[in-house]
Amino acid sequence: MGGLLTALNAGKTSLMTNQKSIEIVGNNVANVNTEGYSRQRAELSQIPAVNFGDFFVGQGVTVSDVYREYDLFISRQLQEKAITLGEESGRSTPLTELERIFSVSDDNLASEIDRFFDAWQKLTTNPSGQVERDTVLQRGQLMGDAFRNTYDELENVRANLNNKITASIPNLNEKLSEIAKLNDRIYQVEISGQSANAARDQRDLLVEDLSKSLGVQTYTDNRGMLAVQLPGGTILVQGNQAMTLQADTSGSDVNLQVVIGGIPKDLRTEDFGGEMYGMLDVRDNFIAGLRSDLDTLAVELTSAVNNTHVNGYYIDPATGTPATGQIFFEDLTALPPGTPASRHVNVVLPDSRYIAAAGQNTAAPGDNENALAIADLENTYLVGGTDTFENYFAKMVSTVGIEASRNQLALGGAEDASVQLHNLRDGYAGVSLEEEMIDLVQYQRGFESSAKFLSTIDEMMNALLELKQ
Amino acid sequence: MKATQGTTYRMLGSRLNDITLQLEEFRKIGATGKRVNKPSDDPGAIRPILNTRKQLSNVDRYMETMGQSLDVMQATDGHLEHVENILQRVKEISINAVNGTYDQTSLDILADQVEQMREELLDASNAMVDGKYIFAGYQEATKPFTVNGAYVPGGYDPNNSATWPYIYNGDANPTYLEISPGEKIQVNLTGNDLFFGDADNDGAVDPGRVNIFATVTNLMEAMRNGDINAIETEMDNIDLAADQNRRLRSQLGNRAARVQTALDYQESVRIDLKQILSRYEDADAIESFNDIVQQETAFEAALNITGKVSQLSILDYI
Repeated sequence: MGGLLTALNAGKTSLMTNQKSIEIVGNNVANVNTEGYSRQRAELSQIPAVNFGDFFVGQGVTVSDVYREYDLFISRQLQEKAITLGEESGRSTPLTELERIFSVSDDNLASEIDRFFDAWQKLTTNPSGQVERDTVLQRGQLMGDAFRNTYDELENVRANLNNKITASIPNLNEKLSEIAKLNDRIYQVEISGQSANAARDQRDLLVEDLSKSLGVQTYTDNRGMLAVQLPGGTILVQGNQAMTLQADTSGSDVNLQVVIGGIPKDLRTEDFGGEMYGMLDVRDNFIAGLRSDLDTLAVELTSAVNNTHVNGYYIDPATGTPATGQIFFEDLTALPPGTPASRHVNVVLPDSRYIAAAGQNTAAPGDNENALAIADLENTYLVGGTDTFENYFAKMVSTVGIEASRNQLALGGAEDASVQLHNLRDGYAGVSLEEEMIDLVQYQRGFESSAKFLSTIDEMMNALLELKQ
Repeated sequence: MKATQGTTYRMLGSRLNDITLQLEEFRKIGATGKRVNKPSDDPGAIRPILNTRKQLSNVDRYMETMGQSLDVMQATDGHLEHVENILQRVKEISINAVNGTYDQTSLDILADQVEQMREELLDASNAMVDGKYIFAGYQEATKPFTVNGAYVPGGYDPNNSATWPYIYNGDANPTYLEISPGEKIQVNLTGNDLFFGDADNDGAVDPGRVNIFATVTNLMEAMRNGDINAIETEMDNIDLAADQNRRLRSQLGNRAARVQTALDYQESVRIDLKQILSRYEDADAIESFNDIVQQETAFEAALNITGKVSQLSILDYI
């Protein structure tokens, strides 16, 4: 009878084990579409055998562990790629905006500059013509508007970046504190010898997210807790403690700070990686560069026109006599520091009668010498000694084009790599429905066999009990 | 390694995404006919495109300027022809006066005719185009030739403009216009050069030149005085005057011919520039159409496969 009872017990463990395995399959199938989920498997092992006289008899089966399929190498690679992907996608949106601002269409700043000088060229054919003079004035104002628009649009992109950076902070902080909490939970669970599979999956997913957005690097400390730090070395999560990021909006740009022990510490662009680095880099280097180029163009163009215009003569409407020394545009060479020159391209002439088209001190109505000289600036004046006004602008557009095109290539590459790595990860640790179905059949058969086994034992016990009747 | 539901759909999704993005790009090229729609499409082509566009607009401007210059030159030429006819008739009248045995009354009638000619000459010298005096230099709003009130008959001194019968109110500046990059051409003649033979406008007739108005006036006065010798002297000056007029007229003609050539040249430059611009920014129509068809086929295939994947399931077999 003792042997039968042992067999009954072994059958019971088999029923429970198969049931547990089916539960795990069920959980796998349920999480077939869960991002970051690693397939779990039951590790089955025999219950230690018992010595029966001269031989050992097995005592059944048990689930010794539920482990997740996981490859550290792939996870690390995913993390690395996420940093590149994040950086390029951080640049992508502002660059698309910049491409719109510095367009190749007919109505960009270069066309306005061209139309302004064209108006001067037209004025040379009729220097005293009211219509021609008014056109010069209007074209000058329209060109000023175009400069202002371009500058404002650049500022918009910058403001949008600042908003995006500020808005991302609460989410980042939440993720950091989540990692700290998960560190703690994993520690608590695993200290009792169990595997905290779900928590580890979640933590891996968070780290991948943070790699993408902040370019974080991680290492595991001696308690199995994940330490998270910025590429610059600033610790963000240590054990079950998470630091807080905050935005410093006191300056003209949003800067990030990390609060360590209640004291905010400034972070520089180079401290970051991933999306945050991409956005900060575009904002602080690329857009700032474009803005200063635009200012240079505005200063050089207005002072070139002014320097020629002051030499010309016009009939002063107030006195009716020839006058000279009039500037055409607001003088941008002596702006107070911090004032954007490209926002101040303004025509300062009260009206078109002040246009100094004449080159001789009689300011005769047919004198077009100065108008010719100004019209010539378009083709002869060189910004920085190398480029005409239009070419200088074309160079800025090219810069945007080259950067945007590089970004598109890199982003495409990073996305492909990311898809492939995710596929590799799923190929290793993902849930395959076919596999699960086959497992399901396998465990079901196991369960059925155990049940059959139990009913056989039952019959045997019955037969035994019926012996004495 | 295994293919899971996740890998299959991720792969299909990203592939469909790639294809539709590319298809949209091709469709944009096909719809706009432009190869370069944003700077990143071809950063290297931006400078040539913007540059060529500027040059095209410059060429348009030059052509318009040249058209205007030709108008002014043609009008000027018409007036110069008129001046030549006047001088011709003055010459005929004076030959008449010298050859015929006219009494003083007849000479006075001839002198009256010459005076009429002089009036016509004055009208021609004060000619206007587009509301502007064409022989006044920069002073295009000022009537260039007016009677000198201080003129004393017979007191003409070539070296002192105060003694001349007419005074010049314009200046000595011819108008220059730019007809191609860096090339400026003189489009008019100034009255002092043409009518007074005083190119530098210093109040003295240049050597070898004549003051046409003074010559005609002197001739008229010689007729009134019955001074046949004086008439003969002035007749030579009339020849010189006609010569002076012809010379300047031919100069103007040469310049007009230069403008005409430049106009033709700019016309061909314009065509070249348009070709260059098109090469940089326009799409090859056949190629872009082919690309679209090719990409649409790929898209259809990808959609087909995506549909098939969902039909196949292990659940149908166990």
